[in-house]
Formats: sequence, C-alpha cells, structure tokens
Amino acid sequence: MSRKKRGVRFPERQRLMIRAENLYFSYSASQPFVLNGINFELKDGEYVSVVGENGCGKTTLMKLILGFIKPVRGKIITEARRIGYVPQKQGSVNSGFPITLHEMLDSYRRLLNIRDRGAVRDALGRVGLEEFSSALVDTLSGGQSQKALIARAMLGSPELIILDEPSSGIDPSSQKEIYGLLKKLNKENGVTIVSVEHNLEAAVLNSTAIYHLSMGKGHICTPKSYAEEYLKGRGES
Amino acid sequence: MLSYGFMQNAFFVSLCISLLCPCIGIFLVLRRYSMIGDALSHASLAGITIGLLLGQSPVLGAFVFTSVCGALVEFLRGYYRKHTDLILSIILSLGVGTAITIISSGRLRVNAEAFMFGSVLTVSRADMVMVLALSIISLLAVALLYHQMLYIAFDEEAAKVAGVRVRLINYVFSILVASAISVSIRIVGVLVLSSMIAIPVATALQLGKGFRTTLIFSIFFSAVDIMSGLVFSYYLNVAPGGLTALFSVALLLTVILGKRLVSGLKRTERQ
Repeated sequence: MSRKKRGVRFPERQRLMIRAENLYFSYSASQPFVLNGINFELKDGEYVSVVGENGCGKTTLMKLILGFIKPVRGKIITEARRIGYVPQKQGSVNSGFPITLHEMLDSYRRLLNIRDRGAVRDALGRVGLEEFSSALVDTLSGGQSQKALIARAMLGSPELIILDEPSSGIDPSSQKEIYGLLKKLNKENGVTIVSVEHNLEAAVLNSTAIYHLSMGKGHICTPKSYAEEYLKGRGES
Repeated sequence: MLSYGFMQNAFFVSLCISLLCPCIGIFLVLRRYSMIGDALSHASLAGITIGLLLGQSPVLGAFVFTSVCGALVEFLRGYYRKHTDLILSIILSLGVGTAITIISSGRLRVNAEAFMFGSVLTVSRADMVMVLALSIISLLAVALLYHQMLYIAFDEEAAKVAGVRVRLINYVFSILVASAISVSIRIVGVLVLSSMIAIPVATALQLGKGFRTTLIFSIFFSAVDIMSGLVFSYYLNVAPGGLTALFSVALLLTVILGKRLVSGLKRTERQ
C-alpha cells in the first residue's frame, strides 16, 4: 500500500492500482463512521491482506474499492484496467441457481466482451476444474466453488483481483491449494491481489503487506511486524 | 376446433405466451420474485380497466400500467431492501384498488370478467397484432440481454464488477414482465396468470439441469400446459385460465413423482 511505511518498500517503477484519499464512510447519517479517514496507495504486483476484527470495515473498504458504494467524504481512485472479484462463497452467489460451471464462466466471458471462447477452458484448466465443466455450480464442494470463482475472476487477465475471505468455510487442503494459486498468480503473472482475510495465518504467510483496520482507521505493515505486534499482543504465536 | 377463427387466434396467442412467459418467468423465479410477478399480474387488471374506460386496447392499457407498476417495484426496492414482501402489498393495493374503483363506478361498457378468468372468444385481430409486436420485441430484448439478466439473477455483485448497468437492466426487465403479463391476460386471465410465469419454471427446476436446459424445458412445459388448457376448455366449455393453471400444477406433480420413481428404481438397481 503506501510507498514506504514500517519497512515495506516498493520499486519506483510500480504502477498505481488504488489510491484512497481521506476516505470516510457511514451507512447512514445517524450512524458513526465505519471508515474514518483512510489513506493508502496500492501499487501493482502487491499481495495485500486486509485484516481486522469483525465490523472494523474490511468489507466496506472492499465495496468502496469495487464501486458498490460511494464514500461520504474523500475519494478512492482505482487505476486497474480490469478487476477480478471473488465473493465469499456463502451469501453472495445465489444458492440453488441452475447453472453449470461452464455456463457461469462463459456468460461472464460474454459480459467482459472476451471473444476467445477458449478462455473459459483455459481458466478452468488453471484451477484444475476442467472435468467439472458440465457440473452444476451448486453441487461443487466448498473448495471447488472457490476455485471456480477464482477462475471466473481470472477471465480477461485482470490486473487486480479482490477477494472476500477466500478460505471461509473451506477444508485445510483446499485452502492450501487456493492460496498456492493466488501466490502463483501474484508472483508469476504479476496480478495484484487484495484479500479481505479472517485467516490470519494465511495473511501472514502469503501476503507481501498487511493492511490492518481497527476502529475505522488503517495502517500498513509487513507480515512479519503484524505477526509480532498483533498476534503476540493477543497471546497468539 | 381449428376451423373456428377465434380458436386460431387463441392458439396463436397461446404460442406467444408459451414462449414469452417462461423466458421472463425464469428470471423472476430465480430472483425469488415470483410473488412480485403475481402482484403485477393482478395490477394489470387496473390497466385493462383504464384501457377500456378510455376506449383503447385493454392489452395496451395493461402493458402501460403494468410497466409503470414494474418500474415502481424497482423504485421501491431501494426503500424496502429487507422487506421486499411489502412491495407486493403496495403494488396489489394500487392495482386492485384502481381496478375496483373503475369497475364499481359502472362506467365500463364491457364486462371485465373475461380478463379475470381468461377467454378464447375475446381475442380480437387488434389484440393479436399487439401480442405479436410485444412478443417479438420482448423476445429480442431477452436474447440481447440474456447474459446480463442471467448474471444479475445469479450474482449481482459480479455483474456490477463486469460493468453491467444493473439498475437500468432491472428497469428494462420490469417492462419485459409487463409485456409477458399483457400478452397472457386474454387467454389465461389475471387471476391465475402467475401460474404461467412461475409453474413451468418450477417444473423444469425439478430436472436439475443447467440454466439453458432449464429454460428450454420451461418453454416446453409451458406449451404443454397452455395448449392442454386451451383444448380442454373448448370441449368442456370452461374458462381456459383455470384449466391451464390446473394442468400446470398436474404436470409439476407428475414430474416430481416421476423423478422420485426414477431415483427409487436407480436405488433398487444399485442394491
């Protein structure tokens, strides 16, 4: 995120992906600010995990980045040319919807005006779900569903992928595969990743930087310093 | 039966209904809006009475009034995000209230009963032109917006990220719902119109297929329901709306029982 804080260094040539300037947000005029003067910069090639207690504004910040909601004050600039989005498996996607994995990705390909029909097969191949192409999305396991959503987010070669709790409700081996996939996308393909995380271990192990939100305020730190300052402070190791 | 002009008209309109209603109904059902479809079909009665009162086509009246109500649903959604069932009451009150006021004023020269239960005798040439125009335009719109509407129903946030103008398409969809209702009121009638919008889709959902296959089966079941209703209403001399609704429920139950039978046989084979 911001160029040089708490030992996090980014090369000068890196391109700006997101900039938040003095960001304030409240869900109604009578409620206190959920986000209270947020400032950060996110450059390309980063893998940032956004962490914090429940209700600290992680999902609100993600919605602001995606443009689902508008800030009360301040502004957020998203420079990424194409954004991929991976929602939480539970809650966002319409459960019981009669749609095959191929239909889910192919319709999305058409929304993005990607002419190459092979893009769907390639995306499914990258997450190892080719053989489930004709399966109903609702019948996939938690890990497979999450991989399918990542495959959808990869369509059109996005510069930035935003994930909302990617390991929520998923078994440990699938979690490992998913984080391996995200790291590969980040390191080998240079995709910038912003992941709202409840899984603090995954955040520390996989991220290049951690954005810690608390009481509507945020600050950037390295995974190492986050582990030392916060996890130890809470009696975790 | 087909030598009668009125039956030819009725079959033509039924064909349009069996194509259009499931194409719109599938999105309504999958967005859990089938009851709003029901409220809009009841509200169309107000449009019919306004059309008749002004000496205009009742189908056109129904289309305009139901479109306005559809847009109102979309507008009210912003105010009642967590209580969408309330929108149903508001639209029903507006539509049925308007219809009752006009009918009870005694100013209508035509009996509105045929529009409540459906009738094969009342389909005029002018209605057919209107039905054909609405059906063609609506089916083209569905084909054009197919992927956008699918994604709004499946995952609205992902649709927004992909750049779909969700609010605009929701308003267009309201007009498409109004169109499907207006096309159907002559034959099916206002009271059981939702059976044509929701039940063929509910039947197709039982087959557990993907979206496109579910849509194709919805159209097939819709055609079976309405054509059966029409043929039997001719021989039994009853309103086609009621019979169509009964056939749609009977077909749904047949598919559910057939599915149980097939899965039972498969289980027995495995043992």
